[in-house]
Amino acid sequence: MNDHLSTDLLVDYVHGELAPSDDARAHAHLAACAACREAYDLETTLSEALRSAAKAEELELPSLVTAAVWDRIRHARPGPAARLAAWLRPAFAVPVAAAIVIGAYFVSPLAHPARPTIDAAYYLEAHAADSAQTPLSERASSIVLETSMLGTAATAEAGSDGFAATGAADDVH
Amino acid sequence: MTCTSRVLPVLAICAATFAALRAVAPAAEPAAVSPAELLKESLQAPHTVSYVGQVENVRFSSNRATATIVKIEHRAPSLTRRWFVAPEALYGDYVITHGPATYQFDTKRERLTVSHTRTSEEQLSPLDDFSEVMNNYRALYDGAETVANRSTMSVVLINRYTGERAVRLWIDRDTHLVLKREEYHANGSVAAQTRFEEVRYTGSIPDGIFSTEMPSGYEQVAGRSAVTPSADIDATIKTAGFSPYRPDDLPQGFAIKSADVTTVNGVRTLHLLYSDGLRSISLFENDANAAADFGALRPKTTHFEGHSADYIEDGPTTLLTWKEHGLAFALVGDLLLPELVEIAKSVVP
Repeated sequence: MNDHLSTDLLVDYVHGELAPSDDARAHAHLAACAACREAYDLETTLSEALRSAAKAEELELPSLVTAAVWDRIRHARPGPAARLAAWLRPAFAVPVAAAIVIGAYFVSPLAHPARPTIDAAYYLEAHAADSAQTPLSERASSIVLETSMLGTAATAEAGSDGFAATGAADDVH
Repeated sequence: MTCTSRVLPVLAICAATFAALRAVAPAAEPAAVSPAELLKESLQAPHTVSYVGQVENVRFSSNRATATIVKIEHRAPSLTRRWFVAPEALYGDYVITHGPATYQFDTKRERLTVSHTRTSEEQLSPLDDFSEVMNNYRALYDGAETVANRSTMSVVLINRYTGERAVRLWIDRDTHLVLKREEYHANGSVAAQTRFEEVRYTGSIPDGIFSTEMPSGYEQVAGRSAVTPSADIDATIKTAGFSPYRPDDLPQGFAIKSADVTTVNGVRTLHLLYSDGLRSISLFENDANAAADFGALRPKTTHFEGHSADYIEDGPTTLLTWKEHGLAFALVGDLLLPELVEIAKSVVP
């Protein structure tokens, strides 16, 4: 390699960021090229100066203080308030609150207004009562019996209107 | 002695013998009347014939049968008492009917339920309905048989549109009372059978048998009570408060017979009744999204046209419920499930 190393290539070499083949060629070139060797030395000196300056700005606590802090952390037991506070942290509180709200939604009668239902027995008995009006139906026969297996009918409120409407129904055998 | 004087005694003996034979023959010779006429007379028989006996009723569903046995006393024209012998749950209970009024005595819960059907003035004429039956069914004699030690003639009703046997009745030759009856599904299987195990004709039934006096300690509750029919079915349907649907695909011969709007558990429910004179189909609908509560019953599920529907069988009667187009429907009929499903498909086009 007769050409000198470019600054970018040299910086990458100093920081070990070159591909292995490029790194090998740069290493060989530096061994043979004094100018590039001088540039390399300058680059490494600058990098070291920046690292030293950064270290100088770090605050170092006395070792006893650091040990005391770690000792408190290891042996500290949270009180009830602290435990409650821990539960109130968003990481816990949000999912728990959501679960409560969702549960309340499905359980609460407000969320689930009670939908009315109609007893199946009402349908069977209303049909039986009206179909008995036909003279040759089984239920109208002189030998026919009341044989609903359901026993108890739904209660129909009075006040119906119209043809063959029926009132309360209860306990039809 | 002349020839005439020798012939006259012979003719007299023949005439006397013929008269004697006529006297011991049945009062009514079924073969002399059409099966339809005999059927019509059987409708009137309970109004003129009094009897006591025991009756067994069996109702068949697709996988089970339920049987009921009652002792019955009937005094024409309109007093009847039925004592339940079986099943065990009904043993001892009894029902007394006085014309349109029915008194049901629940001896276990000490409860009397009083209900009313239409009065005789309000009832549709049985003979009008009978004409409709004859329009849709053909009556044929189906042989003679002995039922409860009585000689009967059997009449079968054949559906004029499908050719299927729908009902067979065994009619007492003398009294014309129906002593046995079988109802059939479209596939020919028996749907229900009712028959006298024993019967005795008598008019001497004590009045006390038909007493409706409530025993001490009983509670009286109101049962079903019919109201005066409306002549305008369309007007009644409008009172439902929503736009109802009607089935388009009913078996041939079926026509709408009645409509009523009843409030059930706070829900206005429209009930449309269809009949061909013999069989009936009811369609119930509401717009309150009120589903059927099957309670302790265990409904089965079927599917049609993307709908999930629940159904139960009560003997030969099938109840099918489903929701569609914001309405809750219930269809009831003495039909097999596939037949009912076909009708259900046609309710909402």
